[in-house]
Parts: sequence; C-alpha cells; structure tokens
Amino acid sequence: MSKITIPLGPQHPALKEPENFMLVLEGEQISGATVNLGYNHRGMEKAAEGRTYLQNLYLIERVCGICSHSHTTTYITNVEELAKCETPKRALAIRTLFAELERVHSHLLWLGVAGYEMGFETLFMYTWRDREQVLDCLEMLSGNRVHYSINTIGGVRRDITPEQKAGVVQRINYLIERTNYYIKLALEEPTVAARTANVGKLPLDVAIERGAVGPTARASGLARDVRKDEPYLIYNELDFKLITHNTNDVFGRLVVRALELVESYKMIKQVLNDLPEGPIAVKVPMRIAPGECVNHYEAPRGEDIHYLKSNGTDKPERLKVRAPTLANLQSVAYMLEGGWLADVPLVIAAIDPCMSCTDRAAVWNPKKGKTEVYSWEDLRKLSIEQYRKRGVDFTRL
Amino acid sequence: MELITPLAYLLIFPGFLFLAVYGLFLQWVDRKLCAVMQNRMGPPWFQGYADFIKLLAKEVIVPDEANTRMFRVLPFFAMAAIITALLSIPVWGTALYGFQGDLVAVIYLLTIPTVTFFLAGWSSASPYSTVGAMRVLTQLFAYEVPLMLSLIGPAILAGTWNITEISAFYAAHPVLIPAQLLGFLAALIALQGKLERMPFDIPHAKNEIVGGQFTEYSGRLLDFFLLAVDMEMVVGAALLNAVFLGGALGLTGPAAIAMFLAKTLFITFLLALLKVLMARIRIEQMINFCWKYLAPVAMAQLVFDIFLKYKLG
Amino acid sequence: MSDFPREEKIKADIEAKFGGAVSNALVQRKNRVWLDVTTEKLPDLMAWLKANSFDHLATVTGFDEGENLGAYYHATDTKLIVTVKVKTPRANPSIPSILKTFPGALSYERELEDMLGIKIDGLPPGRRYPLAEDFPTDQYPLRKDWKTEDYLAQQAALNTEAK
Repeated sequence: MSKITIPLGPQHPALKEPENFMLVLEGEQISGATVNLGYNHRGMEKAAEGRTYLQNLYLIERVCGICSHSHTTTYITNVEELAKCETPKRALAIRTLFAELERVHSHLLWLGVAGYEMGFETLFMYTWRDREQVLDCLEMLSGNRVHYSINTIGGVRRDITPEQKAGVVQRINYLIERTNYYIKLALEEPTVAARTANVGKLPLDVAIERGAVGPTARASGLARDVRKDEPYLIYNELDFKLITHNTNDVFGRLVVRALELVESYKMIKQVLNDLPEGPIAVKVPMRIAPGECVNHYEAPRGEDIHYLKSNGTDKPERLKVRAPTLANLQSVAYMLEGGWLADVPLVIAAIDPCMSCTDRAAVWNPKKGKTEVYSWEDLRKLSIEQYRKRGVDFTRL
Repeated sequence: MELITPLAYLLIFPGFLFLAVYGLFLQWVDRKLCAVMQNRMGPPWFQGYADFIKLLAKEVIVPDEANTRMFRVLPFFAMAAIITALLSIPVWGTALYGFQGDLVAVIYLLTIPTVTFFLAGWSSASPYSTVGAMRVLTQLFAYEVPLMLSLIGPAILAGTWNITEISAFYAAHPVLIPAQLLGFLAALIALQGKLERMPFDIPHAKNEIVGGQFTEYSGRLLDFFLLAVDMEMVVGAALLNAVFLGGALGLTGPAAIAMFLAKTLFITFLLALLKVLMARIRIEQMINFCWKYLAPVAMAQLVFDIFLKYKLG
Repeated sequence: MSDFPREEKIKADIEAKFGGAVSNALVQRKNRVWLDVTTEKLPDLMAWLKANSFDHLATVTGFDEGENLGAYYHATDTKLIVTVKVKTPRANPSIPSILKTFPGALSYERELEDMLGIKIDGLPPGRRYPLAEDFPTDQYPLRKDWKTEDYLAQQAALNTEAK
C-alpha cells in the first residue's frame, strides 16, 4: 500500500495549541512520526531579564494558563532562596492548597480532553461541568479562575477565612463522589478500555531514556514525583500515596491521573484542617543578592524546573524555565510509531501537552491599514484608561 | 392531475420537502436529546434550519486538484437516492410505489449515499479526505452485512419482499413484533454505523482527520451533503419502523402519519442514546465488532425466523 | 565534616574520577551540587552521572556570561540535582553533544543552538527549535548584546508607531 504523509497541525481540531506532527501512514497505521515545535515562541526568558522580580511574577504566571500556580511557585521558591527569606508557614500551606486545587482542575480538564479525543463527548461534558466546582473554589479563594496570582514574593496575597474553608470542603466532597464515578466508568466502560488499553506504549526503559516526567512517567512504572523525592512547600507533612501504574499505555495514564485526583482531595482536606496560624507574608527587599539556584516542582503535567541567576539588582540576570511538556514530547514520537491513526490525538493528549513562552502584542488596525505594535508602556496606558472609564484609578500606583 | 399528484408526492409529501423539513427537525431532536443527556442546554428548535440557510449563502470552493464535475454532482446524487428509497417505504399505511422485492431495492438505494461519500472523499484529493474515503468504504463492509441479514429475517417470516406487505403482516400479527427484538437491535446498531454516528463516526472523526470525506466541501455542496445525511436518518428510521415495528399498525389517514412521526422519534431517541453512551472506536475494532458479534446476532435472528415460519406453517 | 554526606560523596567521587577537568565543585545546600567541567570531558561526565543513578537530565540552561557562553546541565535522580557547567569562548562557541547518553536532550541542545548560537557537535539535522522558521539564523536572542528594540526596528512590517 502506498504511503501518505498527513500533517497534524499546526492548526488541527485535536490540538489546542500550535505544534506539528508529520505522520507517515501505511493504510491506517503509522510508520513514522516527527514532532515539530516552535510556532509560538514568546521570548519569555528574554523578557524576564528586562523586568523586576515582582513584575516577572506576573509574566511567569502567563507561561501557562493551566499551570499558572506551578510556574510562579517554582520561580518564587528560587527568588526566596536567593533572598534568604523565611516564608511564613501559613503562606506555604496556602500555596500547597492552591497547588493541589490546580492539580485537581488540571487533571479533570485532562480527563475531559481525553474523553473528547477518544470521541466520548459525554465524558468530556461531564468532567468539564464538574471542573467548574474546583474553578469556583479557586475564584472564591483568590478572586480569579485561572490566573490566581496568589503568590507574592515572601508569601501569599490573600488569607483564607473559615467560610471559604467550608465552601471548599463542601465542593471537594461533591468532587470526591464524582471522581469515584469516573474511576468506575473508566474501569468498566468497554469502549474506553478498547480505545486506551495497549495504546501509546512507553516501556519503562524508554521512559527513563527519553526523560519522561509526571503522570506519563508514573504510568510506565517510574516512581518519580518531586513531591515525594524532594518535598517542597509542606508536602513532607502531608500523608499521600505516590501513584504508579505498570501498563505503560494511555489506560495507565488515565488511571494514574484519576487516582491522583483522589490523593489531591485528601491533601486539600489535610491542609485545610491543619492550617498553621501566623502571618501570610513577609517583606522582601527589591534587590536580591548575587547568586544562582535551581528548583523543581511537581506540576500537574510533571516536573517543572526553573534556574535563576541574580546579579544584585532588582532584575534577574537569567531565568530558565523548562515546562514538563517539553520533557515529555521526546517520548511522543516513540509512542506514535506503529500505532493507529485513530490513536494519535489520544496519545498526544495523554501527556497533557501544554505548549507555552511576550514582550509585545501586534495589532492589526483596519482603519490605518497597517500592523501596530503595542509596547509595555502602551499596554499599561491602555489598561489604565480602560479602568478609569470604569471608575478605578491606577495612575497613583 | 395524473402528472401533478406523483410530482407532489415526489417533491412535497412524502418526498423532498417533507424529508428535508423532517430531517432537519430530527437533527434538532437528536442534538437536543444528546444535550439533555450530557447535561447541556442544546440548540433552539430552528438551529438546523438556520444552519441550512446560512450555509446556502456561503461560497463554494472546489479544490484545484479535485475532479470538478464529480465533486459538484455527488451531493445531489446522494439526495436523489435517499428520496427514491422513501418512495417504497410506507409513510401512511401504504407505500407510494411498492412492488414485490422493494426491500432489496431500498437496501441497495441506501448504499448509494455511502458510495457517494466515498467518491466525494476520493475526488477531493486531499490527505484527510482520502483517509476518510477509505474509512467510509471499510466501514460499509462492516455494517452492510448485519444490516441486510437483520432486515431479511422479518421478511422471511412475513413471506413477502414487499415492505408495505411486511408491515401489514406485523400489524395483523403484533405478537410477532417482540420476537424480532434481537434483529431490531442489530439493525439499529448497523444503522448507527450507516449514518456514521458515534460510536461509528470514524470516517469523519474530527480529532483525527478533521472533516473526513467532507473536508474539502464547503457552502451549498456541503449543505446538501449534510441534508442528505439528515434525510438518510429519516429514511433509516422509517425503514426500521416498517420492517420491525409494523409501520402504521393498521391505522389510516392522519393517525397513520402521527404514528409514523411518533415511531421515528422513538427510533431517533434510541439512536441518540447510543450516541452518548460510548466512545468512538477504531476502524479495525468496528470491523471486529460487526463481524464477530453483530452479524452472528442478525444470523441467529434469521435462523429463528425461519424456524418460527416452519412452526407456524 | 559536613551536614550533607551524600552530596559530599558525589562531589568527591566526581573529583576523584575526573581530576583536573573538574573545578569549582560546590555543595550549595542539601540536594544541590554544582561543578564546572571542560567541554572535552562533558560527554564522559554525563555518561558517568547517568551510570550513577542520575538518569534524568532535567534541562540545559544556556547563559551568556560575557566573554564565554555557558551551558548548565541539570542532571538529577529527582532528589539531588547536579548542575554541570561548561564554558565555551564567545568567538567560536562549540560543545560536544550528549545525545548518546541522554536522547531526551535533543530539544535542549537545539535550544542552545537557536537561542545562543552555541554549535553542538553531533546534533542531527532537523527543524530548528524554538524560534520561528523566518527568524534570522545569525541572531541569537538570549545573548546579552541582542536587544528586542533593535530587532523590532529592523522589521519593516512591525514598524512601531506610538499610539
């Protein structure tokens, strides 16, 4: 049979972000796959060098829409380590709470996407409806659904009141019930099993060799979780299990994420029940002493690692961000080869890809008939005007 | 008058106009039912009609690589075959042009749209449509045999190949309707495959091959293809109704039409239920399923019907 | 002698094995070891690290140090992070590839080439990463002398007009 090359992306219904997979097909089976990236490089690392530590916090939050807390927490751990700042215990606990709520939100999102990619729209609709519950929690606690901005250098921005605590617990209880239903569904529904079992195989040795991280690695039996290996925040005080699975396929990744949801609910309750008393933030000077450090963090998608070098000014010398998806993409080409075309979206979605990294926004002005570039100052001016129209004045800040 | 009446049958009721209006209505019923089952709002009742009219106004783009004449003529071909099929299926008690052996003719007429889908994908000459076209044809071999086998069963029991006579037989012997349950379910699942709905929407699985066989289609031509699919759903439901459920059950006039609408709505409900319950399966899993389980079930029904016929004399 | 016996042992092992090639070895804190190595010995050192349980290369940070360009390899067993630094002269930057040991490092090495202009010996041909296809190949955005404003000024299509 003759071979056809099919481009999957950069624009394709299965992909939410620009990336490209060139698939060589023999009939319905894939005989070769290459992964192409870099359609949306935003130059964040360069942009970070021109901003202060506090401004960078809001830049880094926008590395990823879903792991916004993961990236800021990794960044801020680095900054606080360099500033030799003692972050209050209560702030660490609140960060942990957000980290786990984020994981819940991300895993539920993934479950929906997986359902969509395998053509199971009912699962997609159900999980995304339930995901609203955890987004409500996050909005109630931080004021925002996705970019929570709870972190600030030296602590967190907002405290948790007893009413908020009760609200979160109530929603989590609902989610526990729903998640158990999804686990049952995933294990019993024959079409789900037919679409996920033995699909996108990633044996343990390949997972190690290609540097897989997060649920992708854990579904290949690789017990690698930063929360256990090098506990940060308050994870060493929490009681949770490291979930692994040894089927090496998409089904394993489904099970790992579903069971991790249960562990996350447990942790959220533990944190809320033993929330330490005390202040939520300390003051940290604007200038950070010269030094360098590297820290990692278990984001919902896997290990997120940041390197930070300071030079004594209020701006970093170098900030390196490595998001978990980049580490996992090396495994994708391996998982695709020899598989079915129908499994491609699912295999790609199974690592939960999140391609992310701006310093400007280009705007097409139809009246003038040309493209204009807004600088940082222009955007700031625009937003101040926008808010003034609504009666809020930010010029004094 | 002699010319006008058949023309009215063909163009207005139960032909083109009725099929189009009722097909778009069933599309809405299907979407609304799915939405309710999936905990969503769903579209308003006029969504199907609005989409149809909007798409009529859109530009038609024919790819340079495509076979232009074939590309333009196929949607109308699909529609014509479906309308012709309905002429032999009773809507109000008797079919318009029923004859001995029309069951076989209808089965063949209903295969034509599938073949036009394949040709549409093939003549588009784009990678996604080519893969879609191959899947259409592969899938045809999977569901066609169980569908035929399950339709033959009731015909043998009724002792006729005329659809109107088959439904008249079951209307006269309603006790025998429950005996066709297995065959009905097999036909329902095969019909789901024929209509390319979940879990068998493999030829146009959007996450894999974008629009499948219709990827390169746009504007009016796409509109008529989509309309043909909706019409096919009405005709498919009408066929199952006539063969398995006894058609109008001996009623005549408006009551028969009301019965027809109620039963096709019921079949749509069953199809919608199948759609929300499952994940899309792979093409090779579908072939396995159809040949390993669906065809034997239909076969068992057939054997049972022959046995029953022998017993009843 | 130290509060961190494991970290000290790794440091001592590497120093014993690679001798003169390694310098500035430092146990920064628990779970963090830093050291410099010459470019020639880099593949050997990475292979040694992989054989000694540091089988996960977390990432490679490229850095413009001024006269030299640096590449920092963060190898880890997920508990302990060993950061191996290599320096290469700005005039003719070149580093041997470590793909034989860590096949997963492909995109990190491409990033070094694209963002800093460090030539990686032994890198297979392929599409560039992470910059766009139409980005000039002789410009390296992460070098300190590269300024976003200069780049934008060159781009006629993006000519800034103050609002």
